[in-house]
Amino acid sequence: MATLVKMPAIVADADSAFLAAWLKSVGQTVAIGEPLAEIETEKATVEMEADTAGVVARLLVSPGIDVEVGTPIAVIAAESDDDAAIDALLAAAGAVPEPALAGAPSPGESDPWPQAPSNPADRAPAAPRVFSSPLARRLARELEVDLAVLVGTGPSGRILRQDVEAAAACSTPVAEPPAPEQPATEPDALAEGTERIELTRMRQVIARRLTESKTTVPHFYLTVDVRMDELLGLRKQINAGAPRKITVNDLVVRAMALALSEVPEANSTWDGDAIIRHRHADISVAIATETGLLTPIARRVESTSISKLSATIADYAQRAHAGKIRPEELAGGTFTVSNLGMFGTKEFSAILNPPQAGILAVGAAEPRPVVNDGELSVATVMTCTLSADHRVIDGAVAARLMRVFKERIEHPLSILL
Amino acid sequence: MPEAHPLTPNVDWVELTTTAADWDAADPGLLRTMLVQMQVIRSFEEAVLELAGAGLVHGPAHSSIGQEGGAVGSAIDMRPGDGVNGTHRGHHQFLAKAMSYLARGNGGRMDPGKPVSPELQKLLQRTLAEILGLEQGFSRGRGGSMHLQWLEAGALGTNAIVGGGVPLAAGNAWAQRHTDAGAGSSDLTATYFGDGATNIGSSLETMNLAAAWKLPLLFFIENNLYAVSTHVADVTGESRLSGRGPGFGIRSWRVDGMDPLAVYLATEQAAEHMRAGHGPALIEAQVYRFFHQNGPFPGSAFGYRSKAEEKAWRERDPILRVAEELLRRGLMDGEAISAMTTVIDAACAEAVAALTEQDPESAKERRRIRPELWPDPSFVDVGIRGDGSELASARTAEAETFVGELAERRFIDAVADVMGARMDADESIVVLGEDVHRLKGGTNGATRGLVDAHPDRVLGTPIAENAFTGLAGGMAMDGRYKPVIEFMYADFMWVAADQLFNQIGKSRHMFGDQGTMPVVLRSKVAMGTGYGSQHSMDPAGVFATQPGWRIVAPSTPFDYVGAMNTALALNDPVIIIEHVDLYSSTGVSPVSDFDHHLELGKAAVRREGSELTVLTYLAMVAPALAAAEESQLDTEVIDLRWLDRASIDWDTIGTSIKKTNNVLIVEQGARGTSYGDWLSDEIQRRYFDYLDSPIQRVTGAESSPSISKVLERAAFTGREEINAALATAATNLGR
Repeated sequence: MATLVKMPAIVADADSAFLAAWLKSVGQTVAIGEPLAEIETEKATVEMEADTAGVVARLLVSPGIDVEVGTPIAVIAAESDDDAAIDALLAAAGAVPEPALAGAPSPGESDPWPQAPSNPADRAPAAPRVFSSPLARRLARELEVDLAVLVGTGPSGRILRQDVEAAAACSTPVAEPPAPEQPATEPDALAEGTERIELTRMRQVIARRLTESKTTVPHFYLTVDVRMDELLGLRKQINAGAPRKITVNDLVVRAMALALSEVPEANSTWDGDAIIRHRHADISVAIATETGLLTPIARRVESTSISKLSATIADYAQRAHAGKIRPEELAGGTFTVSNLGMFGTKEFSAILNPPQAGILAVGAAEPRPVVNDGELSVATVMTCTLSADHRVIDGAVAARLMRVFKERIEHPLSILL
Repeated sequence: MPEAHPLTPNVDWVELTTTAADWDAADPGLLRTMLVQMQVIRSFEEAVLELAGAGLVHGPAHSSIGQEGGAVGSAIDMRPGDGVNGTHRGHHQFLAKAMSYLARGNGGRMDPGKPVSPELQKLLQRTLAEILGLEQGFSRGRGGSMHLQWLEAGALGTNAIVGGGVPLAAGNAWAQRHTDAGAGSSDLTATYFGDGATNIGSSLETMNLAAAWKLPLLFFIENNLYAVSTHVADVTGESRLSGRGPGFGIRSWRVDGMDPLAVYLATEQAAEHMRAGHGPALIEAQVYRFFHQNGPFPGSAFGYRSKAEEKAWRERDPILRVAEELLRRGLMDGEAISAMTTVIDAACAEAVAALTEQDPESAKERRRIRPELWPDPSFVDVGIRGDGSELASARTAEAETFVGELAERRFIDAVADVMGARMDADESIVVLGEDVHRLKGGTNGATRGLVDAHPDRVLGTPIAENAFTGLAGGMAMDGRYKPVIEFMYADFMWVAADQLFNQIGKSRHMFGDQGTMPVVLRSKVAMGTGYGSQHSMDPAGVFATQPGWRIVAPSTPFDYVGAMNTALALNDPVIIIEHVDLYSSTGVSPVSDFDHHLELGKAAVRREGSELTVLTYLAMVAPALAAAEESQLDTEVIDLRWLDRASIDWDTIGTSIKKTNNVLIVEQGARGTSYGDWLSDEIQRRYFDYLDSPIQRVTGAESSPSISKVLERAAFTGREEINAALATAATNLGR
């Protein structure tokens, strides 16, 4: 019997939620608990899991839009359901599917989202059904083996555990991380003095994405020391008498945006089979909150005045702590700036936020001994480390980016122009 | 020309009527108490009907208005240790027994000047709460109107299956007779039922059984002439229902149920007969329900009886009758009667007010149940069975770790040995079944030697599975004796299905987890013996669908001994499934120490393997093990042993499936009633992501096994079918 999937109220009192992406396409089977869609709320992006097992029969809304809570968004059908049964269900629910989305895609129609061009990675071409055992599917997920390219040795070509394991063994020269095990210790078996904290959805998403990033993206790192005295002096002048204070971070963000404009190869993101180069520098600003890290995006920073940028970032910081960041403020972004200088951290290197290809880790500005024309003196110095995705950015490009960035910081007037 | 010699029953069958002299001689306290009790019932029932009319009684409200005289006249002088049960129309019997229990400190007498004690007020509120399905009811709202039970007062529980409670009452009476017989004045049990239930097997089988075993059981027939709308004369050739008794050798009385004194006097005579050990008695009380089967309308509104008939019966209202006699004898005046009724009505109104309130959301000033009084929905499955804590101190053992002496023994001898040991040690164990006391241990030797050692506790029964199964259930509810029933063939469970599943299986839960049901049922599977379609089933699959029952199917003599000990120690109904093929098999078994227990919920891995898990039980364990030796796959064989939903060993099963990723369920019997249905469903639910191939099943054919040897073999499974399934499992893995 077919089941209507409705937009859940992920956050209490939320009237709507942002459907970021479908993780299943029409015709794919879905098991209970398997992620069906990514839904962004004001607080986080969460995976919506299927409550029913079956075949995805209809996807009723396209990704990239805000959907009212309770609106039917998909139909999961049993094998016995025909189109008539599904239509009857939809009619009973009063759900009118978007015409372009109704029904399964025809074989020639490879893109079910003609009006949703934002994220080509989510496109799911209609593929012939691959027979595979439940265990094989789970192992394929864990070992990152693509079932579509395997030949099954079971009845009717069903892919079995042995097929997935064989494929994994010959395709991964690097040792795979061990499959995540169930926690070895049950809550009641915890050692004294320890406490088990269940993962929030947000923490799960952070864990998944960062693990994916750190284990699949080839990171490399470049570190530069930048002299800060001029910038700090300029900031003091600006802030004298200004109603609201410009922060060092505001200046760093803008300096990086300008550097990205100057080195456009670096303002790029990874798209699997292509690199997307961006005209504008949309900078994700990392903000630590009690529940986890949020990265709202300051758009077109290269053409935003420092005062407006400062106001934007201040507003984000305030709303992030209040849990009021809107989903669309989290979507997109070409580069991230993460600043731990206010904690006194001297330097650190950050994990990339895919599909972005660069993230700048900013340490504390502090007095350090420096050499000027062979003379030892004291200057205010800040260490910044760029983490870059080597698939997108080569070492020289990254080095150019950091050189321009350093110049901008050390000749700060250009940041204000 | 043959001669005809008139025959007469061996027992008396009389109609008892009262005279004016009887009324004059009646104890004033008795008559006053009758009036109080009948008015309490009447006012209570009127309150229930009012609530039903307001839509606050979920389900039926079977009113007893008009029938108070039968219940009060018979129960008024019952002892606290006497028991009563009844049918769906049982409020009056329940209240009558409960009131006589509450008045036990006062010789069973109540004062019309102070008719409502605090205890009675509480009784009314709790009874009403139960009828409304509320937490503070006797069964925490589970039972409702049709399942009223207060064990402390001897109210054993009313029953919604017509005749269903009659065998249970016999079990209570059996326990009473065997506990109190020495004093020459045993407690007794009254089972109330209507004209409708006089035609059903449970009642008639129990009449026979109670008479055969001289049980102090009163069959109290409330003949109100109508089974719902069907007149008694339409459905029986002998509508003088007390005529049912003499054919079974039961002394029988017919009385006017609208005359409570006549009922009282007949019961007095019957009780004397029963308490003295002369066997059961039967009283037919002719009564009339003033309303329809249920709800607040008279029967005439539904067209099956006339207003004139109803008027004639109403004029013979038992309350009016007693009131008139009290007035005539000057024992009460009209004012006192009126004052008494006012107090009782107020008490019922107080009970209603405690449970209901004005609905704040209703514009029409409707009432509603006070929301905080509903049971918590999480209570839904509580008490289906016990938690097994009664086994806390039980010594468990496996053959490999057993410290006592072991020897190779026949399975059937282990069956008899452990029962002998238990009966020697525990005088409460009673064995009952067909031929269990003869043939040197029944048809298979399973009860060998028991009757010689314990002649009073090994009972050969009539061929009446519903009656003796229900009798065992009643015995178990009482708790003084622990019954072990034998079904000669498992198929006979259908004959006893009401008692097994509606009564024994549901009782503990239905009555709100207030009592236990320690019944042990031994039943054998006889596939392969040529006994045909009706003697060859495996009952595991059907029992697995029935909540309450635990199922154990031991495959070795050692496990059988432990399984019987665990079953006897449990407070839940347990079926021990046996198999004729196993009876003659041998295996290690204790020689003198028969006291170990089979751990509840523990399966046994009989063979370890890494590629396929075979789940099986009973007589299929051995062929599955043999087949596994020849399988292409490295096969693990698990002997499930415990089969019911609550006792199955998911730890062992799950560990194995996560290791092998492939499952084959092997059983012998027919597909339709097969056990593996629910098991495979549950496995795919729990272990979907661990399965590398579809769950495979080996079962018999769709048909039941026939007599013809060839067709019989084709209908069940053995080595060949298991081999074939193992080959399929290998193919599924690309081998």
